[in-house]
Amino acid sequence: MKDIARQSMSIKVESMDLLNGQIKMEAHASATYLAMASWCEQNGFFTSAKFFFKQAEEEREHMMKIFNFLVDTGGNPISPEITDINHDYSSITDVFESTLEHEVKVTKSIHNIVKKARETGDIATERFLDWFVMEQVEEENTIRDILDMIEVTGTEGVGLQMIDNQVANWIE
Amino acid sequence: MNVIFQSTYYTLYQAIDERCFYIDFGNKTVRMSLCQLLSLRHKVMNINIEDHFDSDLNSHGFEVLMLCNKAHLFILNTLEVLDLKNLIENGFMEIGLSVRSVELTR
Repeated sequence: MKDIARQSMSIKVESMDLLNGQIKMEAHASATYLAMASWCEQNGFFTSAKFFFKQAEEEREHMMKIFNFLVDTGGNPISPEITDINHDYSSITDVFESTLEHEVKVTKSIHNIVKKARETGDIATERFLDWFVMEQVEEENTIRDILDMIEVTGTEGVGLQMIDNQVANWIE
Repeated sequence: MNVIFQSTYYTLYQAIDERCFYIDFGNKTVRMSLCQLLSLRHKVMNINIEDHFDSDLNSHGFEVLMLCNKAHLFILNTLEVLDLKNLIENGFMEIGLSVRSVELTR
């Protein structure tokens, strides 16, 4: 019997479901970073705002990478619905701490998909996610470095201004 | 046409010559490409069956399902939705695109 399904689709539906969840997560991250950029602009952290505008674009690029992978493999990519975007932060430290929390969540989610792809023998998905695994190492490291810089600089006196200026070092 | 899986109310077929699938819904048989079958799977698996037991969330206990780019419309009761979920889960396992549908997607 001809395998019409396999000829039309090269990954497992379990991987497709998890990747659609990841599309949503990346879209949520993009919207969250846009909200952070807005907060930074409104509170005078203009360099940090630029940083978050760029982060928002990057997260959307990640989302599109996964979306296109599902298209290429014959899957059914779902355009995500995004709700519950937080716009309230108590300080610039709070903004970057929330960013790190978000990145850790994204990392865990990607690792989970890699593990599940391994379980199901979905080599294409596993290999596709290699890039994301390394990208997350870089993303987490960037935010950790910024948080270290905030701690060293301190938020007293001109500290906040210095922190904002220093963020420029992490805008590629 | 080969039968891929038969549930209580529905049957999923594969038509090799036409390179497509058919679902016999009892009163109507619908032709589907794999893309359309994936779209049906997405819709059916996203139905929260628990809502059927909460009169605030689903007061009538029915689901309206539009298939194949709105070419077909079905109104399904709770038992029919459960049976369709069963058909989809087992059907995808039979065609080799799923390993253990429910557990892994959670």
